[in-house]
Amino acid sequence: MPELRLKRGNVIKIEGFASFHIKEGKVSIIGGLHDKWAEVVIPRAKSIPIEAESDAIIEYMLGPSGKIEKLPGRTIPREWDMLVEEIVAKKPRVVLIWGEVDAGKSFLSTYIANMLIRKNLRVAVVDGDTGQSDVGPPTTLGVVVVDKPVVFLRDVSAHATYFIGSMSPAGHILEFMVGIKRMVERGLKSADVVVVNTAGWISGGPGRAFRLYEMELLNPDMIVALQRGRELEHLLKSMDQFKIRRIAVSKQIRPRSRSDRTFLRELALARYFEGAGRLILDLGKVLLERCYFHTGEPIDPKSLGDTSIVYAEKMPEGLFIVVSGELSDNKAQELKAKFENLHIIRPWDAKNVIVGLANSNDELVGLGIIDEIDYAREKLVVVTPVKDASSIMAVQFGSMKITPGGREVGTIKPGTF
Amino acid sequence: MTFEESELQKLVDEIIGLLEKYRDDPGSLDVILSELKSLYRRVPIYPGIIANCLSMVVKSIEPKQLKIGDEVSLLTKDNRILTGKISSVMQGEIKIVDCYEYGGQKLSDECNIPLANLKEARLFTREILHKEWPDLDFEE
Repeated sequence: MPELRLKRGNVIKIEGFASFHIKEGKVSIIGGLHDKWAEVVIPRAKSIPIEAESDAIIEYMLGPSGKIEKLPGRTIPREWDMLVEEIVAKKPRVVLIWGEVDAGKSFLSTYIANMLIRKNLRVAVVDGDTGQSDVGPPTTLGVVVVDKPVVFLRDVSAHATYFIGSMSPAGHILEFMVGIKRMVERGLKSADVVVVNTAGWISGGPGRAFRLYEMELLNPDMIVALQRGRELEHLLKSMDQFKIRRIAVSKQIRPRSRSDRTFLRELALARYFEGAGRLILDLGKVLLERCYFHTGEPIDPKSLGDTSIVYAEKMPEGLFIVVSGELSDNKAQELKAKFENLHIIRPWDAKNVIVGLANSNDELVGLGIIDEIDYAREKLVVVTPVKDASSIMAVQFGSMKITPGGREVGTIKPGTF
Repeated sequence: MTFEESELQKLVDEIIGLLEKYRDDPGSLDVILSELKSLYRRVPIYPGIIANCLSMVVKSIEPKQLKIGDEVSLLTKDNRILTGKISSVMQGEIKIVDCYEYGGQKLSDECNIPLANLKEARLFTREILHKEWPDLDFEE
């Protein structure tokens, strides 16, 4: 394995795919102090700076697209250290980090967490980016409690996660608001400081609404605005100026391409579902959430006079039916006249829909991918790494279709189920 | 509520704008409708992406920039509107195949149009989701 000798104060950047371990000496990685035998794997489309705190030797391997670059000096701006000093001095309970996509919010959150544990503070980080999630799998929000130096937050087991069901906050603002509040509350129970890394949606009507209501809901003690220029000023104008700390984006932050982001999402999902098995859930025993299905009064499908209807229930919004063949226009009109509205789905519509699996405390225990719903027998078959079906009390419907290999294969029209 | 809390309004504004802009051009409207249906079927949870993509389906183009394979709507100086696919580009003239005129009647298998006769050319882009957001172009 090739070696790289570093003198105290040397700074390098390693781009993935790459792996290395420290053979001798001490290095600082994103503010965290690491010594002998620490091993790090850097995926494609990610890079990290390494600062030698003493003379050090690292052994490394570079994969395709991996590279090592010597840098002229520290990559962490001085103002980041001043921010950490202020957090240590004032001990704000909730620190909200705002920044557009690829501003380095995860990097800054990790840096703050690593620096605070050096000062013996307990830190929790809430990850609000469901697409490029570092905490928990994509489609979830999560919180980690950091108690030792970390390179990537994904290397720490999530303290709690909340299912959103989508890669983006678009159309899921309510789920986001509930989830982020819950994750911050969980973090506050275990940590002195909770750092909230928010999604990079900062403009347009929904983006503004999302940011401002999130701020009102969480009532942070400090808002860190990570900016390249003035891209957050439209939000900051209406804020309590005493809470705002304006911080420059590190010049080392390289925007990721859309294909890189897709690759990282797929990789994270594929890792999550690796080794997953099929679980059969009894719809008579588990609750179904975030859907119309199973919320109405069951109707015997045979009573509706069409053999293509395999499942039916009456809801305030009309008749919910699952149709396996062709429903004649006459029958459809007859049912619509009788029930005012028809909500039709097909047995195969649920295939590959991502779902959250929650326990009796309404906490997410894992993700699942629907393999099939047997409407006649009231069984739901999911592919999931969760092994124990008895731990699952509720199934929350998401808005994406995913394969167990991590590939996104579709989205769900809101209200379909 | 002071902000749009979803991008649905943006999509409706975009559709209204396109209907007004191309009300005299059924060829363009047909392509816009076809793309709208395709986009909504594939990414119903992203109305903002649908609106952005939809705005790119039909765009004005300099007649001299037209090339073989382009699918277009052509407004001539005598106010005829022709749609079709360009099969050849010659000095001062283009030839289009599957040529329809306003009203939907197929003119002939192919049609020669002197560039000097053109007032405006509108270039169609089908499969816009695949071109703009290939990672969201899910198989149906």
